[in-house]
Amino acid sequence: MLILCLIINLPFILMSQNSYSKIKTFDQKNWVKENLSYKKDTGSWAWILHRITGVALIGYLFLHIYSLSPLTQGEAAFTDKMKSFTTPFFMFIEWLLFAFVLFHSLNGIRIVLVDWADGAKYHRSLYVWSWIVGVILFVMMGVIMFSYEIGLLAK
Amino acid sequence: MFKYQNTKSSGSKSWVIQRVTGIALVILMIGHYILMHYNPDSGHTYQAVLNRMSYSWYRIIDISFLILGMYHGLNGVWGIFRDYKLKTWQNYTIFALLLIFGLAFVAWGLSIILSIPYVHTSNIH
Repeated sequence: MLILCLIINLPFILMSQNSYSKIKTFDQKNWVKENLSYKKDTGSWAWILHRITGVALIGYLFLHIYSLSPLTQGEAAFTDKMKSFTTPFFMFIEWLLFAFVLFHSLNGIRIVLVDWADGAKYHRSLYVWSWIVGVILFVMMGVIMFSYEIGLLAK
Repeated sequence: MFKYQNTKSSGSKSWVIQRVTGIALVILMIGHYILMHYNPDSGHTYQAVLNRMSYSWYRIIDISFLILGMYHGLNGVWGIFRDYKLKTWQNYTIFALLLIFGLAFVAWGLSIILSIPYVHTSNIH
């Protein structure tokens, strides 16, 4: 009985295997190419940027602990270290860092809303709003951080 | 942990914790940025740090900021690696490295925070 069943179904089994083998599966060699070829909606960009900013921020946290370590060596060592961080170049880098923090925070709020507050219905407008709020806060922070330099330019 | 990725531990707890710590970090980060950048002296002078650190509650907030940030960050990195089907030994190595680096830097940060003496000198905060 079992053998009969197998024989009857053999063409179908072979067919199904054949069609299965034709399905495109995960290709490790063209991994990056394939990922880039996908059509990207706002959510995909949010996901990509959330990842990049997240990795950068954890890297910065390590750097931050290292850069504050002279606190244990007293005032002179700390002030010396801080001198290099208050140059305009480093302040500009800090400003860019704020952009990373902003995106990760605002998109993080968006993710929480999508997960817990029915945000799947309005996630696209949330993405746009997070950019609007982010750019405004970024510019505001620039004015606050470089207020001294802006004052010099005004004179 | 990752051995039972699809059965015993689905990661749902760490998913919830990731969101809760994320919300906490956003709130802490707002305070951090106001303190550090509203006034250039408050962020970058030794005296200002000493003054802030003369309050125990500030140290507690700082320590929780450090631990929450490190957990959230490294759990995020671990989540990225879990998106790709890696071999078991690779998973173990990455997990161990993240754990060791995280614990070492948290310990370093804690030692920095706790080594700052309790002195209140001026009115810069």
